[in-house]
Amino acid sequence: MSPPLAAVTAATVQGLVPEILLVAAAIAIYLIGAFTSFRSGWLLAFIGVAIPLWLATPEGGDSLTAFGRWMTLAAGMALVLVQGGDVRPASHRRLGTCEEAGTFLILLAGLSLVAVADNLVLLFVGLEMVSIPTYILLGLARTSSRGQEAALKYFFLSLLASAIFLYGMVCLYGIGGDVSLAVIGEKLQSGDVTTERMTLAMLPLAVGMLMVGAAFRMAAVPMHFYAPDVYEGTSTPLAGVLSTLPKLAGVVVLVRLIGLVAEANQPAALAYAGLFWQVAAVLAALTMTIGNLMALVQTNLRRLLACSSIAHAGYLLVGITAAAAGTGSMSEAVTAKVDGADATLYYLATYLLATSGVFAAITYLGHRWPIWTPTTPRPPREEVSTVSDLDGLASTNPVVAFALAVFLLSLAGIPPLPGFWGKLSLITSLLEVDWGMPVTMAGRRAWLLALAVTLVINAAIAAAYYLRLIAAMYFRPAERGVQADGGLSAGLAMLGCLVVSVMATFSPRMLAFDDESSLSAEAPPAVASTNKADHD
Amino acid sequence: MLDFLQGFSPATHLLITIAAPLVGAVAAWLLGHRGLPAVRQSAAVSSLITLGLAGTLVLRFLSSDAIASGGFFASGEFGWFVTGPLDIHFSVGLDGLSIWLFGLTALLTVSAVFVGWNAAEEKAVGFYGLLLLLEAAMLGVFAARDIILFYVFFEFTLVPLFFLIGIWGRDDRRRAAVKFFIYTFAGSVLAFLGLLAIVLWHASHTGVLTFDIATLTAGLASHPLPMTPEWGYLQLWVFAALLVGFAIKVPIVPVHTWLPLVHEETPACGSVDLAGFLLKIGLYGFLRFSLPMLPEATAIAAPWLVALGAISIIYGALVALVQKDLKRMVAYSSVSHMGFCVMGLFALEPVAVEGANLQLINYGLASAGLFATVGMIYERYHTRKIAELGGIASQMPWLAAFFMLFTFSTIGLPGLNCFVGEFMVLAGTFQRAWSGAPADWSTTYLTLALIAVAGVVLSAWYMLQAVERVLFGPPRGATAGEHGDHARDLAWNEVAALAPLGVFIVWIGIYPSPFLKASAAAVTASTQASSEAFASRVVASRAEATAEHGRSSAPDVDLTLHLGPSRIISTSNNLAP
Repeated sequence: MSPPLAAVTAATVQGLVPEILLVAAAIAIYLIGAFTSFRSGWLLAFIGVAIPLWLATPEGGDSLTAFGRWMTLAAGMALVLVQGGDVRPASHRRLGTCEEAGTFLILLAGLSLVAVADNLVLLFVGLEMVSIPTYILLGLARTSSRGQEAALKYFFLSLLASAIFLYGMVCLYGIGGDVSLAVIGEKLQSGDVTTERMTLAMLPLAVGMLMVGAAFRMAAVPMHFYAPDVYEGTSTPLAGVLSTLPKLAGVVVLVRLIGLVAEANQPAALAYAGLFWQVAAVLAALTMTIGNLMALVQTNLRRLLACSSIAHAGYLLVGITAAAAGTGSMSEAVTAKVDGADATLYYLATYLLATSGVFAAITYLGHRWPIWTPTTPRPPREEVSTVSDLDGLASTNPVVAFALAVFLLSLAGIPPLPGFWGKLSLITSLLEVDWGMPVTMAGRRAWLLALAVTLVINAAIAAAYYLRLIAAMYFRPAERGVQADGGLSAGLAMLGCLVVSVMATFSPRMLAFDDESSLSAEAPPAVASTNKADHD
Repeated sequence: MLDFLQGFSPATHLLITIAAPLVGAVAAWLLGHRGLPAVRQSAAVSSLITLGLAGTLVLRFLSSDAIASGGFFASGEFGWFVTGPLDIHFSVGLDGLSIWLFGLTALLTVSAVFVGWNAAEEKAVGFYGLLLLLEAAMLGVFAARDIILFYVFFEFTLVPLFFLIGIWGRDDRRRAAVKFFIYTFAGSVLAFLGLLAIVLWHASHTGVLTFDIATLTAGLASHPLPMTPEWGYLQLWVFAALLVGFAIKVPIVPVHTWLPLVHEETPACGSVDLAGFLLKIGLYGFLRFSLPMLPEATAIAAPWLVALGAISIIYGALVALVQKDLKRMVAYSSVSHMGFCVMGLFALEPVAVEGANLQLINYGLASAGLFATVGMIYERYHTRKIAELGGIASQMPWLAAFFMLFTFSTIGLPGLNCFVGEFMVLAGTFQRAWSGAPADWSTTYLTLALIAVAGVVLSAWYMLQAVERVLFGPPRGATAGEHGDHARDLAWNEVAALAPLGVFIVWIGIYPSPFLKASAAAVTASTQASSEAFASRVVASRAEATAEHGRSSAPDVDLTLHLGPSRIISTSNNLAP
């Protein structure tokens, strides 16, 4: 048993520099917003994210930590720019954006903390530091009834998911007897866990509830149904936040939990990994199929992207399946192994890139031109919200149309765009599990092969609705056109994502993290169990 | 030019050739502000330069020793996605299988640019840029030596064509573009699974995760994918996955339904590209992957694919016979004629396979020419209905002459190119039927070969009937009179588009042996494994048939019983009591 509360040492502080900087910046922005007349919160937030991004990642932690932090900051940077394009009515704009910007930085700090966490308590604190700012951000759009509905829906479901996740953690604590992930992992792998019925009965509970909890963050089945309503109800930039950052949190948590049993050969560890891949495989198949089929019939842009985000949660779960099944793999023959966890993280990076780009582009488009004659009163401003609003975009805004086409084709997995390299890694890692073993009916190989086939069929279904958007932009005449009033910063974010996408097309390893497995057997980051300096 | 290019290594030459259309696309984009003439001139120049580069490369190939060895020429590679677990290389090279298709792509792109000379009054940059992008992707498909690189180029060809159809197509273009994309994408993602399975099987038996096609072929020869029940007939599944992807591209009946719609909606130059070289990827894929890497599964599936080829021939011909739209008729005739290639390939008889391989080029030339001339007719008369056209020969003798030439080539007139290919395919299939078919299959093979002959006759019927109605008879001026340009004979750009095709059609028809010789070794090498596997199946089935007759002297059971799948998958499960 490690001491529950270790003293805060210099090493702790050093290991948490990015998170501390983010929270400090958030506090500074709150104070500036409250006591000065400075209104551009997002400008300050940009600086607040740029500083930790500019400073080298601190020592300590495994590659998952590095990945989580780096992705948090990179996606955070893009999303700060997206949200910086302030498209609210002028009456609200005068209030300034410091509240939102500060809250968003807290969210980023929490996300970063999820990647760093080496024990259950810190992990949960990190997850809540993601959730609570999200409620606030959603709730700040309190003026519209749809925004309220979205905020409330998200709030209650998120609470439920957090509670379920917490129960899962409690079960894990019961099995391992400690909050430290390293100790739990050791116990599972060393065979110290008694193989009593009680303990073994707790494993399915733990895995099931942890998966369901993480499924909410990823917008995966069975916690997916909120996504279309909430995305539609909230603003485009916030929908962008919801479809990227919580997903990052969910994936990092799952990869971390699988990493507990890197070498599964004891009964308890095998049972743990086995349950993990089985649950993940079922959820993956359901999630991608349901997400894609739902997306086919959507006409609202944000609802469509919500369904696409659900489908991508399914693809990510395929990688999780491969990672979990791979830990207990019997195949030693393939020397150059594509690790399931690496593939998942790589796919996540390509997804974050393309999705941030899509939301940046749609935010940039802003509002449609109103139909307005001198004799009628000026109609209310209408946001770009349906697929048909994109009609003829290629002739009115060719650069935005091109960028959107690149992002959408990348999401569809068309080579040689980054999304294709992601799907390639996922499928390779999945097929590699037990490769070289005979396929038996209803054996593991058969299930995993069926999952691979499900994935590629889903990729073909998904192409249909991504192409529908591209067809609207390129093949239809423009009717009303868009104002492109979403702000320069959103446009910059879009161009940034476009440049990175093109670069990652030609050097795909750019988005991959490192060559060693992120599931290193050593203890996760050397960060003390508590961090008083971090959240107040 | 050749002397100058000799200074480069063949690999550099090849890379320059693939990059040339891309440079041309960028040049067209930079010239965009100067308007249509500058853009299309730059597109024409860059496609001609690419043709020059590809042509000289072909000449260098013909004088190299790659012909005799059947190996790769102009191999070059550099790492792409190398560090880490995946080892994907940008590795290119040409061999006997790909050299003519490579050249054909460069040739037909020039034709396509000239055919589409007046097709895009607006957005010309996009139009010519996409044509050149498509060319670069196709050159890449045929030059790829890495399985993933092949797939990347293979899929990427869909994107430019999707936009070409969707933006410059006819009324129903959106549906056609999306249908084209989804249909072929769905097939090729399954083929992708098959290709990955091959890679991983190789990796698990040699310990090396490689994507190099030559290494994989060699590796699978020593460690074939299993064909046993305890392995779930893995090889058959992989074959089926590849079949889905490539059959949609060919297309083989019953997965041909996307083709007529797409041809109907595509602008003429898109059809030239599509029929001329894009659809050849399917058969190229069979020759490159299925036959050498999955011989046992190929041997099992071969009779069925010969049957499907025959069905495609007869079905395509019958449907073409009743078409009222000239372009739809040509589209169905292309389904019919690709059936010959499928049949010849899976007859697994050397002469038939070589014939099928040559026929890819032949029919590529002929159908590209037909689609181009149909496009020219449509440009003048604004209709493609056979009933509304007539008497073109008296008004536009040159257009009529070219149309006749391509028609005669298509129907297999001796002295023109398609005759050579179709003759070889039929000769090989008959040979297979008489001497090398499995027991119980010789009658079927004979029937199928006869069906193919009937297809030749039908093809002459519908093509000549259309020619007679469209070119001869009294001029139909109902719609023609409204447009001042209806009586204009071929313009210079149209002659430039059609004449090179005509030259090669006559050249291959009269003197095909250089074309055959260049591919012979490579074709033999890639067919050998499957031919041997098929031969051993034939021997086994005959021995079994003899044994069966020995046990029960029952008369030959009716054919349908023998066609049951159990018979095909497992030879031990025979009809003996």
